[in-house]
Amino acid sequence: MSDFSNSLAVSASGLKAQATRLRHVSENISNADTPGYRRKMVPFEAVRDMHTNVEVVKVGRVLLDRSALDKVYDPSHPLANESGHYEGSNVDLMLEIADAREAQRSYEANLKMFDQTRQMSASLMELLRR
Amino acid sequence: MFTELNVFKLANAMATHAGARQALVSQNIANADTPGYHAKDIKPFSEVFGDDFQPSEMRASRNMHLNGSSGRGMNWTVSTSEDGSDPNNNSVSIETEILKGVEVKRQHDKALAIYKSSMNILRASLGRG
Repeated sequence: MSDFSNSLAVSASGLKAQATRLRHVSENISNADTPGYRRKMVPFEAVRDMHTNVEVVKVGRVLLDRSALDKVYDPSHPLANESGHYEGSNVDLMLEIADAREAQRSYEANLKMFDQTRQMSASLMELLRR
Repeated sequence: MFTELNVFKLANAMATHAGARQALVSQNIANADTPGYHAKDIKPFSEVFGDDFQPSEMRASRNMHLNGSSGRGMNWTVSTSEDGSDPNNNSVSIETEILKGVEVKRQHDKALAIYKSSMNILRASLGRG
């Protein structure tokens, strides 16, 4: 495979990984008030492609955040215990928003590289035309 | 005069270099959030091409090329930068990579422009301009 197709493949893997990450971030945000929900974390791994020798990004197994769940005081809640607390989720909205911003920024950078590679190969093909 | 078209070889090597570097820049950006990944790069074309250039000689741009192992080839080795790492041991700076990408695009455009213009000269000399 040529450098351009390698480049397109690796940018596409980056786009896919960031999109998966953004999807999990939105899952976390939408479940921020679900009792007992643990936030999902998306690990990225660099995987070397045997044929092309480029390191593409892969999303590994999604991990659950093991930190303690938030204790919410609400005696009228059906899940509340004797002391009037129930276990909420351990989603920190600030963290999720920051993560979403980073994912968006990386997505845009990947998209820019994809577009640039496409332009470069298009101008190479242009040489064949008279 | 036209048995050795060095200008075409040069433009070809320049465009190939830009392509190879573009692949590395894309790889770096794709791995910008991968823990433990270090940014990779090859030397700029001016350094790769070196000053011991013999115009009559073919240059090996890869180890696989016929004269690639004889030591007269271009140095296309991929270097890994270790400096400026994030808390997750990643050394990619998106800003640097985007700037590098712009540089690569300009180099590629330049190589193609040289190729096209040389081709036009050849065409004109054949009377088909």
